[in-house]
Amino acid sequence: MVACFLTGFFFQCTDTFHPSNHPYAFRRPQNFPEPTYTFENNALTTAGVELGRALFYDPILSADSTIACASCHQQASSFSDPVHKLSRGVNDASGFRNAPAIQNMAFQNNFFWDGGITHLDFVPINAITSDLELGEKLENVVAKLARHNDYRVRFKRAFGTTDIDSQKVLHALSQFMSLMISADSRYDRYVRNEGEEFTNDEREGLKLFTAKCTTCHATDIFSDGSFRNNGLSSTFEKDAGRERVTEFPADRGKFKVPGLRNVELTFPYMHDGRFRTLEDVLNHYAHFVKDSETLDPALKESASPGIGMTTAEKAKIIAFLKTLTDRNFTTDRRFSNPFNNQSK
Amino acid sequence: MKKIHALIVAVVFSFSVSCSDDDADSANGPITLEFDNVVGTANLQLNTVDNPYTNSQGEAFKITRLVYYVSSIKLKKADGTIYVDPVSPDGSEGYYLIDEHDGSSQRVTLQNVPSGDYTEVTFTVGVDAAQVNQGAQTGALDPAKGFFWSWNSGYIFLAIEGVSPSSSEPDNIFEYHVGSYKEDAAANQVNNIRTISLTFNGDTAPVRAQHEPEVHVLFDVSKFFNGAGEQVSFSNNASRHSPKACEELSDNITASFIVDHVHAN
Repeated sequence: MVACFLTGFFFQCTDTFHPSNHPYAFRRPQNFPEPTYTFENNALTTAGVELGRALFYDPILSADSTIACASCHQQASSFSDPVHKLSRGVNDASGFRNAPAIQNMAFQNNFFWDGGITHLDFVPINAITSDLELGEKLENVVAKLARHNDYRVRFKRAFGTTDIDSQKVLHALSQFMSLMISADSRYDRYVRNEGEEFTNDEREGLKLFTAKCTTCHATDIFSDGSFRNNGLSSTFEKDAGRERVTEFPADRGKFKVPGLRNVELTFPYMHDGRFRTLEDVLNHYAHFVKDSETLDPALKESASPGIGMTTAEKAKIIAFLKTLTDRNFTTDRRFSNPFNNQSK
Repeated sequence: MKKIHALIVAVVFSFSVSCSDDDADSANGPITLEFDNVVGTANLQLNTVDNPYTNSQGEAFKITRLVYYVSSIKLKKADGTIYVDPVSPDGSEGYYLIDEHDGSSQRVTLQNVPSGDYTEVTFTVGVDAAQVNQGAQTGALDPAKGFFWSWNSGYIFLAIEGVSPSSSEPDNIFEYHVGSYKEDAAANQVNNIRTISLTFNGDTAPVRAQHEPEVHVLFDVSKFFNGAGEQVSFSNNASRHSPKACEELSDNITASFIVDHVHAN
């Protein structure tokens, strides 16, 4: 009863004070799990999403106004960095790990290669404050935005106040990122029976993938959200992975299982960007998995570690993986650079 | 437009009035918890020129920063009734950042507490999972305040920094940042949240409408450096910024707090 009253009140309030702001519907694709994001604390609105989009593309978030989120999370690559194994931050700093794709963020329980971040709102804090990325303090971001008349107007429209704080900055970015849903690939239209046909190779690739890969790359997000050692090293001296967060030796060399949507576009692969092509990735699993104490049990099921695949099987799996490419997502104007559109 | 504004104001006003009828009891009153930081019998002074303090290992030190989060405050009456300080999902209420640099932050006044004779206080040092899982916070929990781990989400519950000639860190500094709320044995996480219950040593804090008692709580740096969890030597890993590295230290937090005295006022 109270909730109804309050909801009604907030909508009324929003509509009254800001005629240009409206609730924005979040739609879960039918083949996706329930979202994890706390929309109850941060209801999507058109102005909130649009503000988040501006912040995502604006280098004002970085220490020297040279780097934006979008610098290393490029739409054409499903919001990953196709150029660098390790992305470049302010002062040409080299990143610590490969920039992951930003897609289907509203459905995840933890973020980054080591899962140290447990809520979408906190994801930008890491990138903004890291000396290797945007190199800026949150309080400076807030101060710079507050000096900017255009942003004062945008915050007023989105949140009803020009009193900007980091919560509103993070909420706006989450509103934008939560909508970055890739669920319109050929694979999606195939499994949803929307008239899409697979070639023989793609169909067989899907079967092989289901048999050999879905222990980890589960659900239609194509990740079970777990942390696993997939045999990239036997020592992990350069990067201990999940162990950096938990400080437990049993987590050494474990990294988050990445979702595989748009995997054709999100090269280079792995936490250190060591592989350039999908062929390299499958060759790793077929031939080059390195054993260690924490190597995932799923990779220890045969005499030699790894996943047995013939050359023909690898080609079919890759044919299937390419059906996960979603060009409607990578060209969706809602997620494009708003400042480019302005200048045209 | 103006009519709608007026209508909304009226609606909100009537709502808030009806809502607060219960707790805006004329018999309710305020109570202040003062968090004073000491080193043994001495009041803590920050940024002293020399190193006036000595730990149990005989190592001299000074303190340059002491900050901690206090939350989930509960007050208990002699009859066992418990008052819970309300917490808001966005962190704007119920969380307090106690900073030795900022005297005003050390006085936490709870308003509108039901009248009665209180004999015990319970509080948490830190910010628990339920709150962090709500996402971006404001007020005392605004991550821009600098007590949020960007790489391992969650708040720094307690930060104590200083200098000791015994530290082998650059410039002989020491930094202990205690945090981590993630209790999940399967996922190998540690929970350094500590909840502290302190009686008023037989005294009572009488809360009345126009009567503001003060409870003086002390945090003793000496006890923090020499507790049941770990007897700190500045020569051993004096720069700690991660959950597990501070697991033993977090066990020292509980015994570092005492209620020194109560002003009935």
